[in-house]
Amino acid sequence: MASDTVLIIGGGPAGLEAARLLGDLGQKAVLVEQKSVLGGRPIDESYAALTHGFRSAEEAMNELITAAQANPSVSIRTGWEVAECSGAAGDFNVRLVKSGNGTSETVNAGSIIVATGFQHFDPGRETQMYGYYEYDDVITLGDAEKMLKEHKFVIPSKGSAPERVCFIQCVGSRDRQIGNEYCSKVCCGISSKLAIEIRQQSPSTKVFIFYIDMRMYGYWENEIYWPAQEKHHVQYVKGIITEIIRKGDRLLVRGEDTTMGRPMEVPMDVVVLAVGMEPSKGTKDVAKILGLKQNKYNFIEVPHDALDPTATSVPGIFVAGAAAGPKDLDDTMSMAGAAAMKAASTIRKLQNSNSKLQSASA
Amino acid sequence: MAVGLDKVRPENIHEEKSLILEGMDISGHWNRMFDPRVLTDYSVENLEKVAALPGGESLMWCYGCAKCTGVCPVDIVGDYSPRKIHRKTQAGMDLFTSPDLWLCTTCMNCLRVCPKEVNMIHIMPAVREQAVLNGEVPPELQKAFEDTAKHGNPLGQPQRKRADWAKSAGVPVPILKDLKRPVDVLWYVGSYPSYHPRGMDAARAAARIFNALGIDFGILGAEEKDDGDSQRLAGEKGLFEMLAEQNIAAFSKYEFNRMVVTGPHEFNAFKHEYPKYGGDFTVLHYTRFLVEHLDTLKPMLKKPLNPSTSSGRSLKVTFHDPCYLGRHNGEYDAPRELLRTIPGVELVEMGRCRENGYCCGGGGGGMWLDSHTKDHTQMRLSERRVREAAEYGAEVLAVCCPFEVSRFEDAAKSTGNDKLLVRDILELLDESMKG
Repeated sequence: MASDTVLIIGGGPAGLEAARLLGDLGQKAVLVEQKSVLGGRPIDESYAALTHGFRSAEEAMNELITAAQANPSVSIRTGWEVAECSGAAGDFNVRLVKSGNGTSETVNAGSIIVATGFQHFDPGRETQMYGYYEYDDVITLGDAEKMLKEHKFVIPSKGSAPERVCFIQCVGSRDRQIGNEYCSKVCCGISSKLAIEIRQQSPSTKVFIFYIDMRMYGYWENEIYWPAQEKHHVQYVKGIITEIIRKGDRLLVRGEDTTMGRPMEVPMDVVVLAVGMEPSKGTKDVAKILGLKQNKYNFIEVPHDALDPTATSVPGIFVAGAAAGPKDLDDTMSMAGAAAMKAASTIRKLQNSNSKLQSASA
Repeated sequence: MAVGLDKVRPENIHEEKSLILEGMDISGHWNRMFDPRVLTDYSVENLEKVAALPGGESLMWCYGCAKCTGVCPVDIVGDYSPRKIHRKTQAGMDLFTSPDLWLCTTCMNCLRVCPKEVNMIHIMPAVREQAVLNGEVPPELQKAFEDTAKHGNPLGQPQRKRADWAKSAGVPVPILKDLKRPVDVLWYVGSYPSYHPRGMDAARAAARIFNALGIDFGILGAEEKDDGDSQRLAGEKGLFEMLAEQNIAAFSKYEFNRMVVTGPHEFNAFKHEYPKYGGDFTVLHYTRFLVEHLDTLKPMLKKPLNPSTSSGRSLKVTFHDPCYLGRHNGEYDAPRELLRTIPGVELVEMGRCRENGYCCGGGGGGMWLDSHTKDHTQMRLSERRVREAAEYGAEVLAVCCPFEVSRFEDAAKSTGNDKLLVRDILELLDESMKG
């Protein structure tokens, strides 16, 4: 007899959405989150507004969390980790361990959804010379989100409002030397969204975005990029910054202004590194524990990505969100819905065939 | 050589062994860049200044796709395009004092292809208006402004002589003031057809055609003033408004059913700009007006224009679309219909024609910026165009904008294409009617 429980690993947007949907279907779900709080990156990294749509990240995530928590079919375990897994589709036995005290418990699950997400690229690892750990005023998208959420976007070293801020795109993405050859997909949109927020909070601040290509697919073009440029006067300059050097108490960004065909050395008060996505530690650990194939970048491999975007290399185990590679929220939520459906139907198919077998033998 | 591949062989490139430019010796292997290489700052203030002007907003919208550069007529002879203007201004250039400000002819080919609708037809006049207020105007343009203000025409000719051309038209050219009765058509002649020798040829041809067709028409004579549209686009909005008011007052004195204009710039002014000042009249460019009379006109065109009737070879005529008739107002067919009706004429299209027609350089004030443009480009736009006409094997370059005859005739001479004849369509029709 197949277990009627779906185990969801990860309490971010994908995991919460899958839990909520399974609960709505009346399917039993156990959601495991290793951290003590739910909400994933948007909460953990204090996102200001969501990309796209500009809704408050906290408000939107709380809505998801409440919906999952309120559902009687959903059981949520925060502060628990996945330690071991055996069995196959219909009958997985997954041992969970409580962080800190080592208490352990085994969940019998018919199917599993992995929603362990991504982590931001560590800019200390880049091959260029952005000096993230040397210069206080070189920050990441996440740092910018935090300041904007508190409505206090300032020069970190001085505490005053910046005259000039720039974003450097593709940090840790599209780079063979770093090993991340893929495009992280969301950073162009997020930088542009943050640029709009900076201009709104501090209208006297000039904001520049240095880029290789602006990748604003779909509606991000007209909802984010065009308003950033046309309404909020964010300045886009084609040509990436190669290095940052200290000049007085400011930063000098150096690179090429490619459409002018000239080198540039321009002073900035704050430099925001548009760091890309990498698989989170949780994604890498869980993939190993569950025996899932990973691609060359250590994201969970999806063998038939185009037509079956949530199936992993193991039958009965599905993936949703950025554990499978760079995803935006739209992708993540769609995948969560698809994975919930696949996880539930896996269980029901097995239950149906079991009951047929039983009635045949009877 | 294939048409358009104007490649220069290395042996045809000559380097100066010694050269002194503006007192500086740059002999030898000189660097092609004299400005500092490194961009040390982005002073967005200058871009903000442009975007703050009513009409200047869209310069900020450019995302650098460079579609405009591909079709900008100025970039072919120089280093100029809307994308470049956006980038240079973003990098700190002061457009208000830059020579680039006066290179745009407002031909509208950029706007035709621009995905972001960056509108140089609004941006340039807005910035130029400020430059005019600041007194930062090239002297030749300033003179045209002053002549227009003083004499009612940019050629600086006396107002009272505006209808003198009609004396030798050989047909009656009624002046409304003397006619003292309503007419079907008020023919607005325009400044160049009234005063420029080659413009007058077209005006007289028009007068003869109108007479032959039995059109009930009259002109304003000394009451007519320049339409002012090109002065507006060159930044003199105040002057334009003054002329518009004066012309509207003159038009309003008389009863007529519709206006026919000789020039596309006047057509554009009366159709789109004068209504904003209360002057709402039905206006037709002469090409569309004559197409309406084609059935009557056709039998009158008796004389074939081909050089030798015995050989049967037709005269190869190409047509230059005026920017303000074509792109600005969507009229591409009427001029071609007229040309095709003329016996002995074979219409040969140039590569850049219709929507992608090249610009003669005369629009947007370019008519009065010849020295400035010459100083900042490799060749005049009219010279580039004449070369294209010659490349396509044209014997006659037909035009229907009064700015163009003199521009192209000069260009034909300066580029050694003396054999290429430049004729207004009116002149060709008139010639064919002589049969």
